[in-house]
Amino acid sequence: MRLHTATLGSSTVVVAARNNVHEHGRADAQPMLFAHGFGCDQTMWRDVWPAFADRYRVVLFDHVGAGGSDTGAFDRDRYASLRGYADDVLEICHELELADVVFVGHSVAAMIGVIAATTEPERFSRLVLVGPSPRYIDDEGYVGGFTREDIDELLESLDSNYLGWSSAMAPVIMGNADRPQLAEELETSFCRTDPEIASHFARTTFLSDNRDDLGRVTTPSLVLQCAQDAIAPEPVGRYVHERLGASTFVQMRATGHCPNVSAPEETIAAIRTFLGG
Amino acid sequence: VTIEAEFVAETAEELFEGAPCGYLTTRTDGTIVRVNRTFERWTGLDRRQLVGATRFQDLLTAGGRIYHETHYVPLLRVQGAVREIALEIVRADGSRMPVLINSEMHPDARGRRTHVRTTVFDASDRRRYEQELLRARRRDQDIAQELQQSMLAGDLPIAPGLTVDVGYRPADSGLAIGGDWYDAFWLTPGVSLALVVGDVVGRGLGAATTMGQLRSAIRALALTQRGPAAMLAALDTYAERHDVGQMTTVVVAQIDIEARELRYACAGHPPPLLVTPRESPRFLGGGRSMPINVPVDDTGIRREASCSLTAGSRLLVYSDGLIERRSETIDEGMARLAAAFGARRDEPPAALVSSLLHELRDTEHPDDVCLLVADV
Repeated sequence: MRLHTATLGSSTVVVAARNNVHEHGRADAQPMLFAHGFGCDQTMWRDVWPAFADRYRVVLFDHVGAGGSDTGAFDRDRYASLRGYADDVLEICHELELADVVFVGHSVAAMIGVIAATTEPERFSRLVLVGPSPRYIDDEGYVGGFTREDIDELLESLDSNYLGWSSAMAPVIMGNADRPQLAEELETSFCRTDPEIASHFARTTFLSDNRDDLGRVTTPSLVLQCAQDAIAPEPVGRYVHERLGASTFVQMRATGHCPNVSAPEETIAAIRTFLGG
Repeated sequence: VTIEAEFVAETAEELFEGAPCGYLTTRTDGTIVRVNRTFERWTGLDRRQLVGATRFQDLLTAGGRIYHETHYVPLLRVQGAVREIALEIVRADGSRMPVLINSEMHPDARGRRTHVRTTVFDASDRRRYEQELLRARRRDQDIAQELQQSMLAGDLPIAPGLTVDVGYRPADSGLAIGGDWYDAFWLTPGVSLALVVGDVVGRGLGAATTMGQLRSAIRALALTQRGPAAMLAALDTYAERHDVGQMTTVVVAQIDIEARELRYACAGHPPPLLVTPRESPRFLGGGRSMPINVPVDDTGIRREASCSLTAGSRLLVYSDGLIERRSETIDEGMARLAAAFGARRDEPPAALVSSLLHELRDTEHPDDVCLLVADV
């Protein structure tokens, strides 16, 4: 699991450790970068990435604050907008020297990928956007699916659930790059995040408005839309598809917001078709 | 009559229907396929309205639905079970019921994970208490922050040929407030002033109150003690007698405007940094002694050093957050500070303070940073 310490030069360990980067598959192949959404961590891709390891250099990471990332690197200002998370994606690309990247982003990470791809279009060859939403809150002439009050309720429900977060868990979750046993601990720390950081990430995610970025994307994109998705409903996925320059829209049979865990086969098949077999 | 026989008439059906918790089975997409009487009663919805027609997440608040999709579903899929998820169920009449739910994937006869069993517990009283706890915790944080800010506020000394500016930036990442403080005050109005930066061990309300005590103590002791070393020695006595501020680090710099003289003393604190119009920045390595109130014998010895201040001198005192990075040695941090300080010698103090705070913060592991700059 801790490939990066063995495979990367010392100059690249900083970002790789900060974002808990893991690599699989063929080191000399085209990179495929998987980004997880709000809530959990790179484990979300565990039933998806192995299908691509034979043809791609698979790169997985955790956003700062999530999973096995270095939570000490969390910075309220940097991560007050999705731009900070997109900068992290670009930093990972730079340090690992990833070019011609297939970016696969779930939920909010879809928009993080959009921002990264508009910043350095030449670096990305394809974008796979799983359950994307450029804005969660309704606006004039736009249905995002939520009201501001709904989002406040989410923040409250985060508060209630983080009573399950005890400080005893913190050292395990915060972990650090020098601990080989972290891989095992990841399983138990899955979806557990420092409450303050989770609340900040929730705010950044659900109050974001990146509709204007969509029109600037030149990278060929795939929009994967689930049925009955409470977070990114179909009209939102259609909106993303229409605003993007060159995109393919796929309506999945899978329901909910997380086809990467609930319907990995269908997710894999759709991505494969988009990437050309 | 055996103990088992007492309830022999109670069927498994009744145990399910009348259980003191809501009990339901859903498909993995949340569609309710079976539900008990308790759940019907709690929600005000009968099973014709629930079974086949409603997904469990449809009964949640909008915020709860997001939590359900982003946490509950992934956890259930990856771990096969989730425990103690706090949600609110919206009843038929629109009122809300705080609940805790536990769910487990329930394999069918062929071992496929097609269904989920969920128990639902009424958590109304618990939620009220938890909210009180959260409020209390936030109040603590607010008090500590307010306390710290009130102590860091106040007018800075100003005089012809003297400009003082300060900067303070708390650590991010939701930690409790730190124990860094700064102070600048006249010893003799218009003639000499003291610049102080200190760093109390620990965080939170305790650190903030200790910081307040020590800051006030130095102000009071400065009225009677002559010079930085004497002030620190008196502060030691105070700290020891009142059992506060063990291992606090402090720098006291005394500037005599007329005589253009600087006297300074560092109790375990990073050295002041001085730049003059014709020289590169240099750290003032003299006047060093142990931190305040350390449990060893030689704290009584407080040293100070002095140097003259040519016109156009600029002095910086600061806390270690400015030079410490986890991935570097202190020397590297100090070299970076000296370089940034020297490169910006033409900027006015206020601009210098804000650019140093931004440039030199350890973004990987942010700590409190406070700094004080004086142009003489």
